[in-house]
Amino acid sequence: MKMKELFDRGEFAVSAEVGPPKGIHVDELVEEAKTYLKGVHAVNVTDNQSSVMRLGSLAMCKVLKDAGMDPIFQLACRDRNRIALESDLLSAAMFGIENILCLTGDHTKMGDHPQAKPVFDLDSVSLLHTVKLLESGVDLGGNPLVGEPPKFSKGAVVSPCSDSVDAQLAKMERKVAAGADYFQTQAVFEPEKFIKFMEKAKQFGKPVQVGIIIPKSAGMAKFMNNNVAGIHVPDEMIEELKADKEKTKAGITGVEIAARIIKECKPYCQGVHIMALGWESKIPDLLKLAEI
Amino acid sequence: MLITQLKAKETITSLTAGKKVFVINCHGCKEVHFPEKEAVELQKELVAEGNVTGIVTTDYICNPENMELRLKKHMDKIREADLVLVFSCGVGVQTVAEYLEDKTVCAACDTYPVPGFQGVTPLEYKCDQCGECYLNLTGGICPITACSKSLVNGQCGGSKNGKCEVDSEMECGWERIYRRLEEIGRLDLLKCPTQIHNFATDDDVK
Amino acid sequence: MESNFRTGLSDFYCFFYCMGEKWKIKADKYTGSNNFIKEGEQLENYTKYQLKSNEELSSLLEGKDNLYVIACNKCFKEFDAIDEPDCDEFLKFAAEQGKTVTGSTKVDFLCNKMHTERKLQDLLPEGTENVIVISCGLGIQTVADLAEKPVYAASNSLNYRGHHGMALTKKSCDACAQCYLNITGGVCPIVDCSKSLVNGQCGGAKNGKCEVDPNKDCAWEKIYQRLAKQGRLEEFLNQPVQVRDFSKVNFKVINDYVKSIREDRLNGYYGGVHPSERKEFSEHIALKKFPDPKTVVISMSQHLGAPANPIVQVGDLVKVGQKIGEASGFISAPVHSSVSGTVVAVEPRMHGTSGREVMAVVIESDGKNTLHESVQPHKPLEELTPDEIINIVKEAGIVGMGGAGFPTCVKLKPAKPVDTILLNGCECEPLLTADHRVLLEYADDIVFGLKAILKTTGAEKGIIVIEDNKPDAIEVMQEKVSTIGNMEVFVARTKYPQGAEKTLIKRVMGRKVPSGGLPADVGVIVDNISTVKAISDAIQTGMPLVERVATVTGEKIKNPGNFIIKIGTSVRELIDYCGGFTDDDVLVKMGGPMMGFPLHTLDVPMMKGSNGIIAIDTDETKEQPCIKCGRCVDVCPMELSPLYFVKYAKEENWQAMKDKNVMDCVECRCCQYICSSKIPIIDSIKAGKNAIRGMK
Repeated sequence: MKMKELFDRGEFAVSAEVGPPKGIHVDELVEEAKTYLKGVHAVNVTDNQSSVMRLGSLAMCKVLKDAGMDPIFQLACRDRNRIALESDLLSAAMFGIENILCLTGDHTKMGDHPQAKPVFDLDSVSLLHTVKLLESGVDLGGNPLVGEPPKFSKGAVVSPCSDSVDAQLAKMERKVAAGADYFQTQAVFEPEKFIKFMEKAKQFGKPVQVGIIIPKSAGMAKFMNNNVAGIHVPDEMIEELKADKEKTKAGITGVEIAARIIKECKPYCQGVHIMALGWESKIPDLLKLAEI
Repeated sequence: MLITQLKAKETITSLTAGKKVFVINCHGCKEVHFPEKEAVELQKELVAEGNVTGIVTTDYICNPENMELRLKKHMDKIREADLVLVFSCGVGVQTVAEYLEDKTVCAACDTYPVPGFQGVTPLEYKCDQCGECYLNLTGGICPITACSKSLVNGQCGGSKNGKCEVDSEMECGWERIYRRLEEIGRLDLLKCPTQIHNFATDDDVK
Repeated sequence: MESNFRTGLSDFYCFFYCMGEKWKIKADKYTGSNNFIKEGEQLENYTKYQLKSNEELSSLLEGKDNLYVIACNKCFKEFDAIDEPDCDEFLKFAAEQGKTVTGSTKVDFLCNKMHTERKLQDLLPEGTENVIVISCGLGIQTVADLAEKPVYAASNSLNYRGHHGMALTKKSCDACAQCYLNITGGVCPIVDCSKSLVNGQCGGAKNGKCEVDPNKDCAWEKIYQRLAKQGRLEEFLNQPVQVRDFSKVNFKVINDYVKSIREDRLNGYYGGVHPSERKEFSEHIALKKFPDPKTVVISMSQHLGAPANPIVQVGDLVKVGQKIGEASGFISAPVHSSVSGTVVAVEPRMHGTSGREVMAVVIESDGKNTLHESVQPHKPLEELTPDEIINIVKEAGIVGMGGAGFPTCVKLKPAKPVDTILLNGCECEPLLTADHRVLLEYADDIVFGLKAILKTTGAEKGIIVIEDNKPDAIEVMQEKVSTIGNMEVFVARTKYPQGAEKTLIKRVMGRKVPSGGLPADVGVIVDNISTVKAISDAIQTGMPLVERVATVTGEKIKNPGNFIIKIGTSVRELIDYCGGFTDDDVLVKMGGPMMGFPLHTLDVPMMKGSNGIIAIDTDETKEQPCIKCGRCVDVCPMELSPLYFVKYAKEENWQAMKDKNVMDCVECRCCQYICSSKIPIIDSIKAGKNAIRGMK
């Protein structure tokens, strides 16, 4: 089902993220997804996340779709020029993939092929614009498509706890203007910032899924604080993760924190997007605890 | 006027091994940057090996006429050499290579772009000559060069503490643009239509 | 202007001088093909921008009014027009659109931040709302950085592939940081191949032309032919697969470089250059007394101003220190004999720096060096009055020994009060090490001389300025002045022309000598190290200026050295004593490579201002058209625009030259040194100055 329809129906949309492996064996991943992602509406498939080369997002989406899930095809502008991006969009539509998420993508230097040429022919905004054009039956070169044009639910991302949130809002507005249907956010650890952000973002009238990462440990929290853009885990949360080592190790503390954040944010947004980063098995507990 | 750095010593010695070498140094843009000390050291070693037929240090070898006038008086030494090793930017090497068409001409340096080159002085900002100036939309800060990804529709969200995800010492170009637009009261420019970079503007240049 | 001339330089010191027959290099034996520069080949026009289209402009101007227009005069194109047409085109367009223009200006090298900043001060008239810039992206960004008003571009940069060199040729370089020319026979696959392929051609070429542009040769076909010609195909086939590394260009490294070179360039004062120092030939060689010459030729014109009048006749017996020439005006200086012996001629002789014959006294030495009776120590410094000191300096014939030769006694009586004496121990000229040795070996005399100057002028402080390439001299002098309250050592980062009065004052004191002014206008007197040593000698021993320290050096001198040399000693003797030249393809200069005078003959005498004799490699270049590369503007320490002087001199437009402040030029030759077109800029400047002086 299209994400847009979900939002239109007033559902609190839940999505989770899976990263394809660096290899060609996906059975385990599909099994895991089937087991743990039962309660989610859609599954994001990352596109060479963090500029680390992996199995392709499109192929993985197709596999998940065949397994009965609703995939969200992530497209980053780092690795493909406009020709390849448009072509992949058509391929996705042919496979019946209905949801996409348009990203600029991390720089090549961040990943495991720092020597690679970064493309960035398009960026997230112009990619959304391109999708909209394709949906109207024309490609970016101005040439008509043959037959029925594709239709997607077009997602985009925004970083509500960024240190430059005004600039983020400006960019969000541009994405809306370019055709974004819904937004997923960077992981939120500071609900009050998210709520403030949503007060300003609601003017755009587009559904927003709050991004959630289950904090695995104090170390992980600190790492994210130092290295991940738009993420700040408050000190109290880090203390909480430190307090009961057993509980934290078992994932209980992290799930509790994540559930709390979801609950606090839920009244202000239209869904949640969970980036489990290997802890997919905790998702059922998390959803239960968050009362979703 | 480009920045040059010496190639790795192994790379250079693999080129020169067992060959008679004539060395040309170009100091024309030395005021910008030329690895003078490193080049002198390396050349001393080459000389010590006894395979150097001659060394000239000149300037602006990219100017073919003067380069030719100057090399002429060393032509016997150049002829004697198997390899002409040029310490200059890529333009200089190509100019010498065209002149000494039947000689193996090699580059001893790698060339790096210097911001401000298209003008006259090295600068802290660059113009990439994209052919479709975006400065009117960005308060005069170039998104092509001030953003690591050359994004033209706003920041990627990868900046941390205002610094670029690629280089923690580089300010996020789009945050700078946002601040500048705020200062000059032109945040409305961010509502402009979606920008799509046209990479075919080199057609303008005949 | 001759089209083909010799330039005097070692390696790359790029000065132009017509050379005497004697120094012509051996006939060139090279008979290879000479079709490198093709007949009628056009210079590339790398001008950086074009006006936006009318549609773009009208949408840009929508809702904007009260425009101020700044246009850049473009660079990297032949310097054929002073003003580019784009500004007027835009003004016409704006008028058609009914816009109010509050003003407009055309600027050279808009991206030169220092110059642009100065020009922009108070430039924007009241009521300006928007600043429109016509320039490449660099100029626009520069103005946007400086102006407080919204800045808009009315032009697009032209999209060129890669970076060109400092000549307007078709060759360019993409600065990929992983040069492939070594495997491609010197043809660049990154720029010349539309796809920047690095492992061979794509197969899309038709009739040797690129699939993207039928006017362009397939780069890989060119590479193949070049390699085939050189018999290197095997080598190419054995190359490993090339994979480009796009992470090589490390902007942090580049930005750090740029920052450091900008700092260097602006360190202390705007502009300047840093030629290779090459002082290692002689800097560690201790001073040695040069063997007495048999004959000395003592010029009556060793100073700025009127020549001295000879007061001896042929046949007269003279002694060391005896006055043989009388000062002939306020700005003049007496001249003394440096030997004892017989006057054998009083007649015009070839002069080292003027290039013509000038009245001189020729003395044959008797080898005894008998002192003249007048050479007597004066009273202790404490007992001398300022006027007495000035008189001693005057009578000793002391003049600026850094080369300018301005009579020192005149300087010591400035029209305005001075608070600081700067001793110039920079010796910023490459190769020369004379002052360096004086600092090391006569430190006490320098302190004494400085004391005398402080006493004479009433200045509060004496500062000895030494460049950081002479750490041993800095150490010695610092120790000497450590116990003296009103003296200090200032260490200056090495840069040329540090030793020029105005730049030195700017550097050390941060004071700017006004256009046309003198150091005393800002309360400073600058004296050269050797001059101060001479003052010390004159007071302490009574010896007038009859000898000086000079360096004989250069890569073409067999045995370089630093010598105490009697004034009047022949340059030929110096060269012979130093073992002669390594070969006869040589250029000899009196002074350093930057400001020194090329010698047409070695039979000229050493003078008070001769701080060195250098023998360096010759260079042969041809003047090329000015391409507005802007480097002369970037290096001029007087912040002038030398390129205009060349253009105006050709047009004999002296008034325009005057308006561009040519009279402020100190002839440091930085512009000529850096000129990528090898234009003898200083000749134009001198012509202009002479014409302007004649206008008065």
